[in-house]
Amino acid sequence: MLSKVFATIAVVITGGLLLYGVYDFPSFGDPNSPPNAGVEGGADSVSQYFITQTYNDSKVPNIVTAVLADYRGYDTMFETVVVFAAGIAIFCIMRSLGNANDPAKEKDEMHSFTHGDHNRIIIGTTCRIVVPIVQIFALYVIAHGHYSPGGGFQGGVLLGASFILLALSSDLNAALKRLSEKNYFALAAIGVLIYAGFGLVAQFLGANFLEYGVLQPLLFTDGPEMARSHSMLGVEIGVAFTVMAIMFSIYANLSTRGTLKNGL
Amino acid sequence: MIFTFDFVILIFMVVAAIIALNVKDLLSASMIFGIYGFLICLLWAEMGAVDVAFTEAAVGAGVSAVLFIATVFNTKRKSSD
Amino acid sequence: MIISIISAIFIISGLFFFAGAAIGILRFPDFYTRTHAAGKGDTLSSLLVITGFAIYQLKGFESFAADWPILLVIFKLLSVSIFIIFTSPTSTHALMDAGWEEHNEPKIMEGRPNHLGEDSDQF
Repeated sequence: MLSKVFATIAVVITGGLLLYGVYDFPSFGDPNSPPNAGVEGGADSVSQYFITQTYNDSKVPNIVTAVLADYRGYDTMFETVVVFAAGIAIFCIMRSLGNANDPAKEKDEMHSFTHGDHNRIIIGTTCRIVVPIVQIFALYVIAHGHYSPGGGFQGGVLLGASFILLALSSDLNAALKRLSEKNYFALAAIGVLIYAGFGLVAQFLGANFLEYGVLQPLLFTDGPEMARSHSMLGVEIGVAFTVMAIMFSIYANLSTRGTLKNGL
Repeated sequence: MIFTFDFVILIFMVVAAIIALNVKDLLSASMIFGIYGFLICLLWAEMGAVDVAFTEAAVGAGVSAVLFIATVFNTKRKSSD
Repeated sequence: MIISIISAIFIISGLFFFAGAAIGILRFPDFYTRTHAAGKGDTLSSLLVITGFAIYQLKGFESFAADWPILLVIFKLLSVSIFIIFTSPTSTHALMDAGWEEHNEPKIMEGRPNHLGEDSDQF
């Protein structure tokens, strides 16, 4: 009880400090604030550069994807690595600790509502119709990420969600038959490899790490701008591989305590 | 950006967060956390950050709710405090 | 003008059914009737609202050559509505099924025969 009081006090103080900090922010959409207009007498603002020059630099209309995959490509690469590491960590924890305390006993009574397959036919049929639609939409999101909202993370999550839906509607084995454990960890590693590979190839061609413009002769494009655009697509595909595989592996390991049997 | 709309969504968000913290049943708590994710997605979409809203709709409201429920089913359903 | 009126009729009737679903969730006595209200009302009202949006998109449509992107938007909206036709009743069914398997008793009026318990074993 006392700990709750202290926790409440800590939360209130932290919240008050944060609100006090927000009070100093420039107001939302203020054109004269430093992030939008730049510092007086100093450099131009970064956001102005992104808004005006992104299309000239890389022929990508969606500025968010361009910033994410090109200008801040290093950051996104390590985000992908973080996702990968999280999946590996959950895999290790569930495999080593999960089997120690016997899950089979309490699991049976808790899962009473999934017993019996009498009405599963409706859910199973609908999911069999819906899963391909979700996957096609996910591929659209990945491939169209630099023209409309979307990109590798969102498309990868949707692809992973389609496999999770398959596992939820029938059972985990049906999903594992399509995407086995060996394959999804291979895909996760391949995703990171694709991303880092784009950077390394650029480095071998004499530019900086992840400087896509020099990939022009390899990608057979008209100019360095289109090379950057296509490289962004390739990088997004790598991110999508990793995120899809890791989402599904997290679900498979969490729902079965690492045994990969039965599932929810 | 419409201030009234923002304000209503923010109030709903705070209410959802408080309920998710106080409810004893962890399954309900994870459901309400999904509602919180949808509300924050709505707020971001309304403020013009469509990419972030899309991510939040896919991750925060969709997959993370499933992961929470999978965890709750494999552990205790009652909250300890 | 006429397109605006038609789409407004669709959207307002959709909102009417949304209100009905919300009132049904609040007022109905037990789990099954509430889920019924939510599932039916949600599906129909989402369809009506999205159809209204799709009709509203036709507003600036003059020639096919110049305005074909509008048709693309309409196609996307109609795809969303088809997706809702498939998924929303199924999710309602899954919810009801889970409630039935958890032995959630339906409320039955005093004096009425309860047929629900009789053949529940044959599932």
